[in-house]
Amino acid sequence: MADIQLSVRDLQKTFHPGLFEASVEVLKGLSFEVTRGEIFGFLGPNGAGKTTTIKAITEIVYPDAGEISICGMPHTSLEAKRRIGFMSESPYIYRHLTGREYLWFGGELMGLERNGLEDRISRVLDQVGMSGRADRTMGTYSKGMLQRVALGQALLGEPELLILDEPMSGLDPVGRRDVRDIILKQAAAGVTIFFSSHIIPDVEMICDRVAIIVDGRVQAIGTVSELISDEIVGYEATFVGALPADLRTTLESHHVASGASWVRVTTDNRDTLIRELGDRGAQVVSIEPVRSTLEDLLMRHYEEGGS
Amino acid sequence: MRAVLAIAANTFREAIRDRILYLFIGFAVVMVVSSKLFGMLTVGDETKIVKDIGLAAMQVFSMLIAVMMSMILISREVDSRTVFNILAKPVRRWQFILGKYLGLVSIVAANLVLITFVLMLTVLVVAGEFDFMLLFAGAMTMLEMLVLAAFATLFAVLTRPILGSLMTLAVFVVGHMSADLWLLTRQLPGALTRTLVAVVYYLLPNLERFNFRTEVVHDLAIPSAAVGWAVLYAIAFVAVVLFLANLRFRNKDLK
Repeated sequence: MADIQLSVRDLQKTFHPGLFEASVEVLKGLSFEVTRGEIFGFLGPNGAGKTTTIKAITEIVYPDAGEISICGMPHTSLEAKRRIGFMSESPYIYRHLTGREYLWFGGELMGLERNGLEDRISRVLDQVGMSGRADRTMGTYSKGMLQRVALGQALLGEPELLILDEPMSGLDPVGRRDVRDIILKQAAAGVTIFFSSHIIPDVEMICDRVAIIVDGRVQAIGTVSELISDEIVGYEATFVGALPADLRTTLESHHVASGASWVRVTTDNRDTLIRELGDRGAQVVSIEPVRSTLEDLLMRHYEEGGS
Repeated sequence: MRAVLAIAANTFREAIRDRILYLFIGFAVVMVVSSKLFGMLTVGDETKIVKDIGLAAMQVFSMLIAVMMSMILISREVDSRTVFNILAKPVRRWQFILGKYLGLVSIVAANLVLITFVLMLTVLVVAGEFDFMLLFAGAMTMLEMLVLAAFATLFAVLTRPILGSLMTLAVFVVGHMSADLWLLTRQLPGALTRTLVAVVYYLLPNLERFNFRTEVVHDLAIPSAAVGWAVLYAIAFVAVVLFLANLRFRNKDLK
């Protein structure tokens, strides 16, 4: 049996905003498991329940029902909390502290040995590329710098399980690459990563397995290749010239630019399209199969979920 | 305990890096020093007037600092969601409450030490001698502030900052009118009204128990039993009120 680092079973949560507002059922029996050493993507649209799940795991909200365990221990135990590093969705920071003081505060809360803590902080600051700016107050930091320091405090305790909620949102391309590299380096060192995001390319690029969450439930779970089978869902053709006005083939989408046309058809309509283009003597540049993507899958579940 | 102290230290650091604290302290110091002017302009023993006004300023500004800083420091932590990063670490919620409370009272204590020192210097200028009983008055004001800060902490986790401030202010005002409340329970018409006033009387602290201003200003004897009871009274109230704050915060969903 695989070594389970994080187990979430049948998690349910309803928020009751107030006397005159309707209750909101955010989590509707959500279950998944994350095994040791993997990068687990938690993918879903905004409002799907991703952040609430993470808040439940980190004991910031209390689920109505369900079980959560971290490294085989109840998530509420202090020992379980010692094993995790957490970076929240937006970097919630103390404007009055410097980056270095913030990490020291995190170290104190984690109960890390004071002897050597200064060196450990310097190492982490170096790792997240903040060594040169660690002694400025965080009120002066840019969003990217805040993300880096927040990631630094998550790494400070050398966690077994790193929980990252939208770690790349709001970052410029350089920042995204740096954060991605840090995550991959942690994974290579054996740290289990729980990576929550609504940005599909980020998830596709770095995750070993992905859970798609829509409307408070896990809709699909597996490796990226398992989820997006090799099934061909359509064809895309590019040919020189404008789109013939009398084309009878049903097009899913089309686009004309720079003297060339691009069309997309379903698998069933491929042959009809080829025949019609041949009849009109169109100069076909390419006809390529379209395979389903994670985005297609997410959109399908999103639409089925009626969100 | 290390997490509690870390949270307290962070709260203290946050306060001393906030300009608003210095505004309050500045006003308090000006008020204490200007008590000498009141002494010169008023008929009576100048030293006693300086002490009286100085001690009153000490009490009012300590109260304002306790009320304002508790709302700023506790509500801000929840509203700005920095509390998420604390609670995701191996820290219990009661440790958060206790840490914030200790941080808050350490700010009030630092302020009280400063104001007491300024008042002692002012009295030295007026009377030509140090009055060490002012230290005792400062300590009693600190006891009162311990109770008030506990209420401020409770209200900070119960409600929004402005309402919480008003509620703490109400505890301060009503707490100094306990004797009048007691009289009301005897003299008001209607059993229901009397019961309601009695409930308020028993629920809220009698802050006059910490008021030894008359004794200090007029060099009267201070009964040690009254001081002992005041200490026990403060400890009991702080324990109960912080327990209630923890009870409210323990299972609270933070959004």
